[in-house]
Amino acid sequence: MRSHRSGRPLVPAYLSTSGVARPSRNSLERLSVLTSTAGPVFGDLPAAQHALLQSLEGGSLTVVEAAALLRLPVSAVRVLAAALIDQGLVTARPPVPPAAQPDHDLLKRVADGLRALKL
Amino acid sequence: MIEIPELAFGGLAAGTVSALALGSGLWRSRRERARLRQEMTGLRHQAERSARAGAEEAERIRQAFTAELEHLAARRMPAEASRTAHPHVPVPGPVGPEGAATEPVLEALRTAVLQERKRVDAAARAGMRGTTREIQASLYRLQDILHGLQQRYDEPELAQDLYSLDHENEQSLRRAQVAAVVCGAWVGLAREESHLVDAVTGGQARLSGYRRVKLHNHLDPGTALVSHAVEPVAIIAAELLDNALRHSSPDTSVVVNLEHVHNGVAVTVDDAGVGMAPDERAAAQRVVAGTDPIMFSDLGDPPRMGLAAIGQLTRQFDLSVDLSTPSPYGGVRAVLLVDKHLLSHVDPALRPAAASTSPSTRTGEVPRPEPLAEHAGHTHAPAPQPVAGGSREADTHQPVSGTTEPVSGTTEPVSGTTEPAPGPARPEPAAGELPRRRRRQVSPDQAAMIRPSAAEAAAPARSPEETAAALGALQSATAAARDAARPEGTPPR
Repeated sequence: MRSHRSGRPLVPAYLSTSGVARPSRNSLERLSVLTSTAGPVFGDLPAAQHALLQSLEGGSLTVVEAAALLRLPVSAVRVLAAALIDQGLVTARPPVPPAAQPDHDLLKRVADGLRALKL
Repeated sequence: MIEIPELAFGGLAAGTVSALALGSGLWRSRRERARLRQEMTGLRHQAERSARAGAEEAERIRQAFTAELEHLAARRMPAEASRTAHPHVPVPGPVGPEGAATEPVLEALRTAVLQERKRVDAAARAGMRGTTREIQASLYRLQDILHGLQQRYDEPELAQDLYSLDHENEQSLRRAQVAAVVCGAWVGLAREESHLVDAVTGGQARLSGYRRVKLHNHLDPGTALVSHAVEPVAIIAAELLDNALRHSSPDTSVVVNLEHVHNGVAVTVDDAGVGMAPDERAAAQRVVAGTDPIMFSDLGDPPRMGLAAIGQLTRQFDLSVDLSTPSPYGGVRAVLLVDKHLLSHVDPALRPAAASTSPSTRTGEVPRPEPLAEHAGHTHAPAPQPVAGGSREADTHQPVSGTTEPVSGTTEPVSGTTEPAPGPARPEPAAGELPRRRRRQVSPDQAAMIRPSAAEAAAPARSPEETAAALGALQSATAAARDAARPEGTPPR
């Protein structure tokens, strides 16, 4: 397990977004899935955006997961993610509502079909 | 018969002789007496004269002494008293040579005034210390509440207010803490070993103009401070930055550089402001060096506590701050030197620096955690990769195939403003396997963000990341298939 950091944080959350808590887009929910679309070379990004992009390097993360990983409040990650989406470095996918989640059997059949296509 | 006249003659002769003798003796004694009398009157005159002269002299001395005392009371003592507070006040010397006797008076006065001043100052500081400590404690409690609220509520408008409150609170906290430190209190907060860049960034966050600070971190990842030096360094950084921000124009930025030097780490703060005159700089340097004890009454009104607090902390914690050189940007250059014995190392993989801190410009060797290699095995990378290699290197060793990149090709953002860097080549999937979206090979410090602990070897077989990657791959495959089914040119989603 990650060694839990005790004590109060040295760097407050507002610093990550330069004090901004209103994201540039309101489409992001707690369970929106963020995916990095950029290569490993980032330009002159603010430090926290850079950190978020780095955390997405290994795959996709939901907003809350990224928040936990970066030890930032969800509100800050929303702002950061919205900024990255604006720059086209990250794409976000809205969370799948439970009712709309595909049937497991259907997925299996699709996978089988794809395999059949490939062969 | 003849004997009688002879006898008479003899008697007569003897009488005459004795009369003669007696007469001359009498005359001599009379003369002697007259001489003595004369001598006596001379002496008496002389004595009278000298007595008169003595009285005049005594009177003169008395007057001189009175004048000296008046001078002492009216001029010299007030000057001496004010000189303890203002060393540049000249103390006039004695009027005449008789004033030499008044020197011990001044000496005693000096001692007494200084002691009284120290006593009053100590009393004022004690009172202030008690108050600020309580304020500081209550502000920390407020901070805890605010952080809790920030975690709980993420509604943007509310979060905005919480951020503002948090920032205001940080600033109040800084002031209370600095006042407490100047009053001789402890910094008021025990922290654990922390990254040095965290401490400096934390100091930056306590200022109203923190957006103007540009921090360049040239330290090796993991350069940290021992626990007792964390808060002092944060306070000193905050005060140096505050001075820099305050004395430079709002449209200029304040540049901070963190660098390794032979004896430790140097934190350099440069501003492009008005700068300081040489004597101002010398005075500031004296305060910051912390060699003179701080007098509360010397700080002015309103008290300028920043430099005094720095002086207090540099003395207590064996740090050193230098303000003696002007900045190449025209303003002031402040250099905080953190000695080697205050530095330690925190594993950046286990405990990364805060997300808001500038990433290090050094891409030094970071010991790669074991599970990563294991993980690389999962993702079909050649297992015995050289540890030093970055992600690109690792990927170039793999068989090149351009055909299996459906994901990155189709899920690109529509904006097209940023050209994503060409993705590393993917390995050919084994026969009968779907084209899979692979986890990217990560560089060690990125891995540190994702895969924090070596102790996770005992974790369940499928880590959340793996699950996320697998599900992500499935989703992207679905999306790719849908996109392929659409006519060309239709933007995805």
